Amino acid sequence: MIRQFLVWLQDQLGKGAGDTAQSWSQDLLGSLNFWGLIEGTHLLSLMLFAGTILFVDLRLLGFTLQRTPVSVVSRRILPLTLAGFGLMVVTGLALFYAKPLFYYHNIWFRAKLLFLVLALINIVIFHLRAHRNQDAWDKMPRPPTATRVLAALSLLSWLLVITMGRFMAYSWFDCGKPIPHWVNVVQECQASEHGAVDAADIAAIGGKAP
Amino acid sequence: MTKLNLAPFVLGAALLSAAVLGVQSAQAHHAFAAEFDAKSPVLLRGKVNKVEWINPHAWVHLMAAGPDGQVREWMVEGGTPNTLLRSGIDRNTLKPGTEIIVRGYQSKDKACAPVCKANGRDVAFPDGRKVFMGSSGTGAPKDGADPNDK
Repeated sequence: MIRQFLVWLQDQLGKGAGDTAQSWSQDLLGSLNFWGLIEGTHLLSLMLFAGTILFVDLRLLGFTLQRTPVSVVSRRILPLTLAGFGLMVVTGLALFYAKPLFYYHNIWFRAKLLFLVLALINIVIFHLRAHRNQDAWDKMPRPPTATRVLAALSLLSWLLVITMGRFMAYSWFDCGKPIPHWVNVVQECQASEHGAVDAADIAAIGGKAP
Repeated sequence: MTKLNLAPFVLGAALLSAAVLGVQSAQAHHAFAAEFDAKSPVLLRGKVNKVEWINPHAWVHLMAAGPDGQVREWMVEGGTPNTLLRSGIDRNTLKPGTEIIVRGYQSKDKACAPVCKANGRDVAFPDGRKVFMGSSGTGAPKDGADPNDK
């Protein structure tokens, strides 16, 4: 279902007539400047996003800006975080659009989405739990344990999102390469256009592909 | 009474080391050494099958004999389409069927599955013209041949 939609998105949407016609997705991937601009913007806004959320989380952990109430830190810094996040989502979607099937069958991308969802769930929990009685600990140099745990989880999940994103640039586990069986399963390589090749099978026939 | 809080320093040190590692790997889109073997130079001679003009790296596909003498399909990594255009390679100079000689380095995994992979250093055309196809500073061995390599 999802895969079929992505095939259409990558190969069909925006495709004109003629032998050399390309879809919009393929045009974007092959563009001389646009793709690089989007990728550059994605990485630069990461600094704005991650750099500012770091300060908020460190304040919640009680490590920095201890004399400034949490509400003041949030009011000043979170708009910047949101702006960074908005840019990341827009440019991230565009980068995904340029190569949807590659990312769909990519273990790093799947892990990144997983940690992204965990980070977002963490935000919801923060608002339902810690945020409700914020008046009680707003001025504390070191907020209560529950709040600090949520801040640590936030920091950890965003660091993992970023790390997984970084590893997407490497092709060690691309579908079609001899890779461990479980990676083939996680990436659903069998359904990909490159198929699934188990490293163990290749080793069994002497290390070279037929 | 001041109690020395070590946590910020520990965290700071961790972030600093992460930043140093990050800078090292950010010198290129991906580090040459992560995927390619500087000790496995290859010289590939054959006709262009197809060229994928895609970001962040273009791929030139050709049928050529590898180090073992067997003719297989090779895909050779170049710079971005923009980098290639600026060094003088475009859709018209690298049409399917063009006879080329590519110098490069084979991937670390030499399984050749699904096809053999290499990082392209330069490409020579039938008329003798030779152009660089990698983006400079990818970590490929410096042999002085690339005027942009410092």
